[in-house]
Amino acid sequence: MKSLMDRARGARGALGALAIALVLITAAMLVAGASPIDGFAALFAGALGGTHQLGETLVQATALLFPALGIALAFRAGLFNIGAEGQLLVGGLAAGALGANVHLAPALAAVIMLGGGALAGGVWGGIAGWLKARFGANEIIATLMLNFIAASLTGYLVAGPLKSSPAGGPETAPLAHAYWLPVLLPYTRLSIALLIALAIAALLHVVLTRTVFGYELRAIGEAPEAARRAGISLQRMALLALASSGAIAGLGGASIVAGELHRFNTQLSPGYGYTAIAVALVGDLDARWICVAAFAFGILETGGLAMQAVANIPKDAIHVIEGVIVVLLAARRYVAARAAIAS
Amino acid sequence: MTLALLVTLLTLTVLKATPIIFAALGGTISERSGVVNIGLEGMMAAGAFGAVYATSATGNPVVGVIAGILAGAFFGFVLGVAATRLKVDQIVAGTGINLLCIGGAAYALVVLFHQQGSSPQVASLGTADVWLIVLAFALAIALHAFLWLTPWGLRLRAIGENPRAVLAAGIDPLRVRMLAVTISGALAGLGGAFLSVGELNIYSDGMTAGRGFIALAAVIFGRWTPLGATLAALCFGFFEALQFILQGRVAWLPSDAMQALPYVAAVIALAGATGRVRAPESDGVPF
Repeated sequence: MKSLMDRARGARGALGALAIALVLITAAMLVAGASPIDGFAALFAGALGGTHQLGETLVQATALLFPALGIALAFRAGLFNIGAEGQLLVGGLAAGALGANVHLAPALAAVIMLGGGALAGGVWGGIAGWLKARFGANEIIATLMLNFIAASLTGYLVAGPLKSSPAGGPETAPLAHAYWLPVLLPYTRLSIALLIALAIAALLHVVLTRTVFGYELRAIGEAPEAARRAGISLQRMALLALASSGAIAGLGGASIVAGELHRFNTQLSPGYGYTAIAVALVGDLDARWICVAAFAFGILETGGLAMQAVANIPKDAIHVIEGVIVVLLAARRYVAARAAIAS
Repeated sequence: MTLALLVTLLTLTVLKATPIIFAALGGTISERSGVVNIGLEGMMAAGAFGAVYATSATGNPVVGVIAGILAGAFFGFVLGVAATRLKVDQIVAGTGINLLCIGGAAYALVVLFHQQGSSPQVASLGTADVWLIVLAFALAIALHAFLWLTPWGLRLRAIGENPRAVLAAGIDPLRVRMLAVTISGALAGLGGAFLSVGELNIYSDGMTAGRGFIALAAVIFGRWTPLGATLAALCFGFFEALQFILQGRVAWLPSDAMQALPYVAAVIALAGATGRVRAPESDGVPF
């Protein structure tokens, strides 16, 4: 458990990062030759100015929340999973392929699609976990390599075997309307995927703080040598941590397919898996704060587009700021000894 | 396979390996001093973009290459300060530098070139890029000799193993680490510059395509030695070249799936390297 002092320091760090982020956004606006007042007005109006805008912000927040929760789970076990992007992609592909080919009652089909997505993401994360457990392969490099492999594999599958029609683009066939996840906020793209993500966040919080599995996960992250001596298998935990981490990200990919795109295509993610690393870190690897961080980043992502359109400030400024925030947050202590889990 | 095709394959192997060699040499020197440089990928992107911008401003790709080296060195210095003076989590800081550099290049494309996705074409080194290829191999030999034949090489390696002992001998380990990470960034920047104004004449988003991480895999596969890392980089370069050659020549091989070849090779190498190799004792541990 973190002491109150640690908590206070964490909150101060996040607030400091936020303040610096605001200064940087202002600087980026000035560099681009736009008035910061117009820029911020566009950012917040674009993100929160109406039902449509709020819905879109929550869509982005949901898409970031799933992979961020997965990343946090792995990171709490001392494993740096930067493969959420690939895990999202394979999860989305599995959901798209299943949804286009199964003929079931709608509720059952949704479960199959989401379950299939989680399974595919879990397998993808599990490959890195197995390589770590069996061979001691560095999971940072392995998960990143698997992102590129996932992009090639899904690109190949939707251009060939899983293509909707010979004349169509590289995507799976559209889902039957009955298979779509129900809309949460009328007249927006926001589906009940948000509720699923929040449920996963609650579940993750309970698992990490109230279960033996969660205790063992934190133990191998915080004191691997003590955990090993207490009889916890580091190999088994590494495999389980990366597989469950991937499953959560894969579920996220599936929810994007079932909730918004209603088919799989290779443009599923504009880099959610990478931005989610920043979300997880800003949220201090705590499921509750990650929900808040995901909403804040949803505002930046959605508002960033509006800022680009209205005030002519490149949206990529947002990604520069994410990077600066992550560098600043590196000063926080996350895990004791990350490199310790090797065979 | 005809002889001409074999020659093409080998030439392409060296060409594709060169940027990875530069970055892997950077990764080796950094990890030998005890700092894991996860930011190699971003530093390559910074170098690639810096090279294109300076070339477009001056019309001289040699100036571009120098600018690329400086851009990489700058972000290496940032990571060096973070890892030594601020004692932050090196992996998190390196990841931040990756996001920052790749996002920053995309931002700078819009601000400086007023276009998204890729820069306009600039002058390239053309056939003069062969000198950079020669430089890559020369640097590999020189760095190997430096690490194992000179007193400062010994000190650098000792800092990666046991910085406390080196401090006791009267050398500031933090200063050496900061220098090593800065040089590491400069080498990654040079690798990036080779990609953008050596091999090509353009910067486009995502052009580093994980090469910084492949270079990290080469460091491990090469057992944290410059010559080993160079051989490993050649290996990965070979698979990239092979993928290039097979594309279009062998009809039944889908080109999308073939693009995964270098990454699959890196994953297999990573798994295969274990048991035979040992990282420097204090690699990744703040001092």
